[in-house]
Amino acid sequence: MRLAGRFGGAALSLLMVAVLGFFLFRVVPGDPVVSMTRGRPSTAAMQAELRAQFGLDRPLHEQFWSYFTSLLQGDLGTSFTFRRPVSDVILERLGPTLLLVGTATLIAVLLGLWLGVRAAWRRDSVFDKVTTGVSLTLWAVPTFWLGMLLMMVTGDLFPSRGMRDTDTAPDFVSQALDVGHHLVLPSVTLVAVVCAEYALVMRSSLLEEMHAPYLTTARAKGLRDDLVRRRHAVPNAVLPAITLVFLRFGLVVAGAITTETVFSWPGLGLLFYDALTGPDYFLLQGLLVVTAGAVVVMNLLADLLHGVLDPRVKVV
Amino acid sequence: MLELKNLSVHYGPKRVVSEVDLTLAPGQTLGLAGESGSGKSTVAMSVLRLLPRTARVEGEILLDGDDVRTMSWGRLRAVRWASASIVFQGAMHSLNPVRRVGDQIAEPMRLHGTRGSVTELLEQVELPREKARAYPHELSGGQRQRVMIAMALACGPRLVIADEPTTALDVVVQAQVLAVLKRLVAEQDLGLLMISHDLSVLAETCDDLAVMHRGELVERGRTREVIANPRHPHTAALTAAFPVIGDPAHRWADPAPAPEPLLQVRDLVVDYGRTRAVDGVDLTIGRGEIVALVGQSGSGKTTLARTIMGLRKPSSGRVIFDGAEVARSGKALKAFRRQVQLVLQDPSSALNPRHTVFDAVAEGLRVHGLADDQEAQVTAAVERAELRPASLYLESLPHELSGGQQQRVVIAGALVLRPRLLVADEPVASLDASVRGEIVALLLRLRRELGLASLIITHDLGLAWQIADRVAVMHQGKIVEQGSVEQVLLTPSHDYTRALLRAVPQV
Repeated sequence: MRLAGRFGGAALSLLMVAVLGFFLFRVVPGDPVVSMTRGRPSTAAMQAELRAQFGLDRPLHEQFWSYFTSLLQGDLGTSFTFRRPVSDVILERLGPTLLLVGTATLIAVLLGLWLGVRAAWRRDSVFDKVTTGVSLTLWAVPTFWLGMLLMMVTGDLFPSRGMRDTDTAPDFVSQALDVGHHLVLPSVTLVAVVCAEYALVMRSSLLEEMHAPYLTTARAKGLRDDLVRRRHAVPNAVLPAITLVFLRFGLVVAGAITTETVFSWPGLGLLFYDALTGPDYFLLQGLLVVTAGAVVVMNLLADLLHGVLDPRVKVV
Repeated sequence: MLELKNLSVHYGPKRVVSEVDLTLAPGQTLGLAGESGSGKSTVAMSVLRLLPRTARVEGEILLDGDDVRTMSWGRLRAVRWASASIVFQGAMHSLNPVRRVGDQIAEPMRLHGTRGSVTELLEQVELPREKARAYPHELSGGQRQRVMIAMALACGPRLVIADEPTTALDVVVQAQVLAVLKRLVAEQDLGLLMISHDLSVLAETCDDLAVMHRGELVERGRTREVIANPRHPHTAALTAAFPVIGDPAHRWADPAPAPEPLLQVRDLVVDYGRTRAVDGVDLTIGRGEIVALVGQSGSGKTTLARTIMGLRKPSSGRVIFDGAEVARSGKALKAFRRQVQLVLQDPSSALNPRHTVFDAVAEGLRVHGLADDQEAQVTAAVERAELRPASLYLESLPHELSGGQQQRVVIAGALVLRPRLLVADEPVASLDASVRGEIVALLLRLRRELGLASLIITHDLGLAWQIADRVAVMHQGKIVEQGSVEQVLLTPSHDYTRALLRAVPQV
């Protein structure tokens, strides 16, 4: 019953996203047809024809209805700028983004949780003070600034633009190495920002558990300090952090915009940036639906996983 | 087996335990009594060196001849649980919430390499073997406490320390848990050091009794003798605070003539979904009468009280106050609520920590739009609650007051609205023994001077004997017996009342 409720809630959120996606970009100033024909001579007749082609001459509710019905069939419309189906464009860019965000999240989770646990367990130690200080700083600085700083500091050590070089040999190993090489700077930037939050949340969550009576029980049983931490404190303290990781993962997909723009990483973030400069209605709609959908789905996953990890939460 | 010599514990400059000497021979049972802050739990925790790092421990703590204070960490870990184990107050949070209890019982056995089976341990504490697969939140308070006992016995220790093992359990469950603990201690010839604020619980379980007061050990002797002839005034205060049912000296309520009814409850039914929480209850409270509503947790007594106060709508039945049916909404309900005030169990959570005493007491006046002459009214109420002079307390914050003073503030907050009925939910359960008597006396004085009627909700039959004119016994949503205190508590007619009385620990 409650499981059904969660899925129902997620479905409702997705519906809201679809509705919002349509109307939000209709209020954005700028005429798409004008921007499409920018720099080229065009007559009023040509513009009218374009309008008809993209269905922009029809009343708003008709436009919405056709958008909504095709959305249900997985058709996100056609991009003005790319002149291709939006879904194809997004799918093509999804891979690089998932590679970047996935790598960064994985590293950030492992590093952040480890740092948080160590900092909390040795509260007020030098390690704790340094970790907390650095985390707060990294969390506070603008991502693009951090990215540019990294570029300057590392010099020519790592490539700072794109995902692969054109002159790399076509075999798998060289291609993979090349992509990995390009991945270093953007993922370090992303890790620095995301990891800080995980570390801080894990730290405060563990600090809250530190005085729990069941830890005294565990100590009284004769457990070593690190076993008390590993077996008893961390499994309880990690629950809020895991929820956060999933919620963030959804957001990071969209939140990589600045990082991808700075490093010209050919992912969804860069695509978002390009679509906004259009503005490319259908592409923006599609991107919004996909990224907001990712947040909703991850939220749902976080709920379900929390139910699996914490026996007190009954999801099913 | 256990020997404490000249034990002192400091937190910074504050001395919480001073120069305590105690010995416990194998197979001996010793109760350590005292109020909150007396240092009794600190003594217990020091035996396995479980105090926080900030504690400074002096003196000797000899466990089987070895000083726990100077042991290496490795030796200490080997001694913990294998030589001495602790039954924590498991009803709260002493079990890891995300691990199965069987796993938690087995953990020390694996760690210390002792053989044994979780199933056998569970059988010893009279729990079915399937409970090993349960998580703590799936068990009742009594079951969790049994798990704690099974866990403490896992490595066959010769000394068991029990720290408030039955606090927060109701009287029937408490009796069951104590019986299990007593039986196992006798069967396995264990040494037992039991800590409690409740003398009657210690009297049930322990042959010897030690009393702590402000960090010092003030009395030590055979339990019977200490309770019968207390030498230290604090011990005397502790024994006097726990009323003996049937003893006229502990009956503080003055006999009152049968009054005319103030509140009448007629055939009241309250359902929560498909559960019937209150099932056809009839109850009358007279003007100036004190009625005790007793029963176990889950018997429906709190739901009944909430419904009487108009905080919950009954499914059927009537509540008549002062001759008129209680309104279910609007101004009339608000006016009724002013006349019926609530006093909760735990004053520290009932008071907003950021509100001064004045704000806390005046809030009711503001809500009911009676704010003119606020200061005089608040002062009068605070003094009525015996916080004199009021000016000393009005600007205090709750954390600056003791538990008893906090409860007086809560009572003042009720009195300021000049109610005619006080509904008190376990008004003394979270108070120290010595304060408890003062609050009981205050409630009786308010009745005498203001004609204030009270409905006292409690699982403590001793409190009912002390304060009430009449007792109503509630069981599974029904009132199974009601009548005068003497009639119900001395010559009970219902089996359930008899079971409740049997469960009361005897001093």
